[in-house]
Amino acid sequence: MTDAFVLALSGVFDPYTLALMAVATFAGIVSAAIPGFTITMAIVLTLPLTFAMPPLQGVAVMLSVYVGGLSGGLFSAALLGIPGTPSSVATTFDAFPMARKGQPGKAISLGLVASFLGSLISIIVLIMAAPPLALLAVKLGPWEYFALILFALTIIASLVGDSLLRGLIAGLIGIGLATIGPDPIMGRERFTFGQEMLTAGIPFLVVLIGMYAMSQLLSELEPSRSGKPQSASLISGDMRPHLLETLTLTVMKPVNTLRSSLIGVFIGAVPGAGSSISNLLAYDQAKRASKHPETFGQGEPQGVVASESGNSSTVGGSMIPLIALGIPGSPVDAVLMAAIMVHGISIGPRLILDNPDLVYGMFISMAVASVFMLFIGLALMRAFLRLLNVPKYIVVPVVLACCAIGAFTLNNRISDLYLLGCIGAVGYVLKKLDYPLAPLVLGVVLGPIAETNLRRAFQTSDDWTLFLTRPISAMLLVLAAISIVYSIVSYTKRRHTSASLE
Amino acid sequence: MAQRRSQEALLPSLQLVSYVAIASVALFMAIKAGSLPASRWEPMSSGAFPRIIFIAVALLCGAAFVTELMKRGMPRTNWAACVAQVHRLKMVFLNLALFIIYVISMPKAGFLLSTFIYLTFAQLLLAPKRPATIVLVLAVATFFSAGPYYLFSEVFNIYLPRARW
Repeated sequence: MTDAFVLALSGVFDPYTLALMAVATFAGIVSAAIPGFTITMAIVLTLPLTFAMPPLQGVAVMLSVYVGGLSGGLFSAALLGIPGTPSSVATTFDAFPMARKGQPGKAISLGLVASFLGSLISIIVLIMAAPPLALLAVKLGPWEYFALILFALTIIASLVGDSLLRGLIAGLIGIGLATIGPDPIMGRERFTFGQEMLTAGIPFLVVLIGMYAMSQLLSELEPSRSGKPQSASLISGDMRPHLLETLTLTVMKPVNTLRSSLIGVFIGAVPGAGSSISNLLAYDQAKRASKHPETFGQGEPQGVVASESGNSSTVGGSMIPLIALGIPGSPVDAVLMAAIMVHGISIGPRLILDNPDLVYGMFISMAVASVFMLFIGLALMRAFLRLLNVPKYIVVPVVLACCAIGAFTLNNRISDLYLLGCIGAVGYVLKKLDYPLAPLVLGVVLGPIAETNLRRAFQTSDDWTLFLTRPISAMLLVLAAISIVYSIVSYTKRRHTSASLE
Repeated sequence: MAQRRSQEALLPSLQLVSYVAIASVALFMAIKAGSLPASRWEPMSSGAFPRIIFIAVALLCGAAFVTELMKRGMPRTNWAACVAQVHRLKMVFLNLALFIIYVISMPKAGFLLSTFIYLTFAQLLLAPKRPATIVLVLAVATFFSAGPYYLFSEVFNIYLPRARW
């Protein structure tokens, strides 16, 4: 164990790796600061660049983009009032008013310090929670694994979108798409209709790029409801970071930071949830716990702290199911999982036992990336103001071309480019029809795992009651049922509330 | 007023159409899955799991269709509302069409040329038409077509498509 830790330490602290991580953190911050350019897109575009790197170096670079990206949305949220990513929606509530009051420097530094502390807290929780969970996970059979995936799928559908039914349909379409190509047990071709481009199946990353990046970028080209072009409001004022005051507001008032970070860790650990939910939940709890809730929304520093520590701490939380169980909790984790698998390392409960150096390296690189994020963010605050003004007419076509590069370099297959075009168009149409895309993408990821384990369970024994009589499997199925009931109840409640408001 | 109501009814109408379309495709796929041969090595054939999934999709689409109808009744829209929406989103469709032409032409024209042409046209479509902007557009197109090409081939040994004529 000590050897693995030392190996990981030397791997991460290699000067070349550190330099790449610094660049990746910078890239993550910049990309997330550009509205419409999500963390998922940034990490997808980074993936092909890591193919030629050693596994730990590649994963460290991807994690740096992730950590940087979770904080990057803060810049556009504070300076323009536009959340750069969904994870910084709540940040706009107080950081933008604070910046408008002439304190953009304080708003950003407060967010950066809160993000840093949130990341550190989540890494500590991850280090403590992942190994015991992994040891438990190796005892799981295909019955438990199938029940677990079923549970994860119900949470995804219940957390995303306005319509439960459309969420479920989208999730199942994702699982259905994943059945195209060779089946995971016998390798028999399914639903290829004689088309060569479908014989290898639809690569999950092509679905991810098409569904997320392309549909999002195309949405950016839509005119606003009023028909008027949107103008970016520039912020002027005190750009100094006010570090002492910032530290007083975060370290000396630790309850809000700690509570928000733990909310982030918990939400991150639940498959299907993520930073887009955690920042809102952490903000909501901070407001409820405050003695002066009326100040929230008018530039309250604790609102910025809650949102930013809440979204940044999801990074450690989301790594718990990924490292311990091999389940990606979000599209970003799914790409990370793909990055590790590209190097021939299988993800799952045995990851921590078979590749402890890689897992320790992930912990260390997350901590190092958090430090980079803090210093790069503070050092480049003024420069970001200029970067935010990159016109949309450059960003959209360039990123679409990058999507094509990402899809092609995955397998060096031209047919993947055609698939990308088709999936991008379908993704945009589904988005316009109000189908949530996250369940679909996660369905593509989780579907083959569910099928493999279901079929393995029946290969082992054709007694289906084992799903109900094995304790962990039964518990997970009960949780899945509770999750469905809960989502139906909360959906009905929400509908009643909105109906009464109308 | 009637036109506005038609526009508001457009999304629910299209959603209803989407339920029917998705359910039809799902039922077709379920039938296809049923025709996949069974295996003697396992009780579940390779078509069993997809069949369950596609039947579930069809059932959920049916449930969504009925629920929407019960909730809101049959939405009434017209062709003019649909045309107006397409017109509103013309920039999206033009860009999507350009992108599809770009990926189709890439194997023949090669990455360098197709990307340069795509970036130039896509930017010109969106950018304000000023001489300075055109220079910037051309510079960006050159940088982002030649840059990745040489980065991938020289640094990562991954070769992006070359022209074939």
